[in-house]
Amino acid sequence: MLNALTLSTRPLSAWEAPIAERSTPAPGTEAPLARDLAGAEDATLLGWAAAGDRRAFDQLAVRHLPLLYRVALRITGRPAEAEEVAQEAMLRLWQNAAKFDPTRAQLGSWLYRITANLAIDRTRRTRFQPLAEAEAAPDPAPGPEAVLDARQRRALLAAALQELPPRQRAALALSYDQGLSGAEAAAALSISTRALEGLLRRARHFLSARLRGEEE
Amino acid sequence: MPMRMDDFARLLDTHGADPARWPPETVPAARALLEASAPARALLERARILDEALRDSLPGPSPEALARMRAGVAQAVARAPLPAATAGGGVLHWLRPWLPAGCGALITLAACGFWLSSAPQPAPDDTLGAPRVLAMMDTHE
Repeated sequence: MLNALTLSTRPLSAWEAPIAERSTPAPGTEAPLARDLAGAEDATLLGWAAAGDRRAFDQLAVRHLPLLYRVALRITGRPAEAEEVAQEAMLRLWQNAAKFDPTRAQLGSWLYRITANLAIDRTRRTRFQPLAEAEAAPDPAPGPEAVLDARQRRALLAAALQELPPRQRAALALSYDQGLSGAEAAAALSISTRALEGLLRRARHFLSARLRGEEE
Repeated sequence: MPMRMDDFARLLDTHGADPARWPPETVPAARALLEASAPARALLERARILDEALRDSLPGPSPEALARMRAGVAQAVARAPLPAATAGGGVLHWLRPWLPAGCGALITLAACGFWLSSAPQPAPDDTLGAPRVLAMMDTHE
């Protein structure tokens, strides 16, 4: 106690600044363990990750992995492959973290583009596996759609999705599942907005007809 | 200008049944058509069913799957080198695929050889200069 009082009243040396005059570290320059990862924006986290902060990158993974998984799952139809694709996309982000310029591209769009391309490449190597109802797909006999219950609809949809080209599935994943604008989804697929609309139109037209039990 | 049925069908095929996703300039005409046309309402209902089926058909990752992916990314990142701002850098980055291994050493060797061969050779007289000068000094004395 006495020591503490002595220390607190000791006159400051020439190189010491009073506490009130000491500058606080600018955002991003504080010690990595003191960083507010949960409250930081993506661009800030990426900047920290580029400097080697793996905890910041883990926070980015927590935020984006569920979304990337859903995009990959819509395109590949296989949960295991969707997991691998989402992880691969995040690893690509780590490798390019220092080169990524948030002022020129949005992180989410960049990740979606990488994920969609990886997933499309995989579906070209392996056959698309429809989601949960793949094994239980009923005979798509024509019938009024009002009669179809939700389970049958899902099964019909799963079977119909199997027949869509991967790029149409990617367009559905980005535009409907992720709710990207037309421009964002088109940029992620490196196509024009008009081409994206064509993909969506053909996909929906086909799926809608199959839900009604019609052959395209 | 009133919207035609085929335009409305195209609108639904492109953007789905949610008017919030329709281009704003098309919304008033589409709503007017919906009020006036039963077939248009049937089309909208059909599109809504597809939207709902699409929404229900895509599950998110389970907590276990999410934990697996997160651990997988963490492991891969732990093994990977730190992000590099310039991978290889400039011209060398583009030349790298065409340059065989060890070409840097070869280029350095060639440069040294060229430099040694092009350096001015000392005149033969200069190599024996000092003894000759000493000998000449001796003769003067």
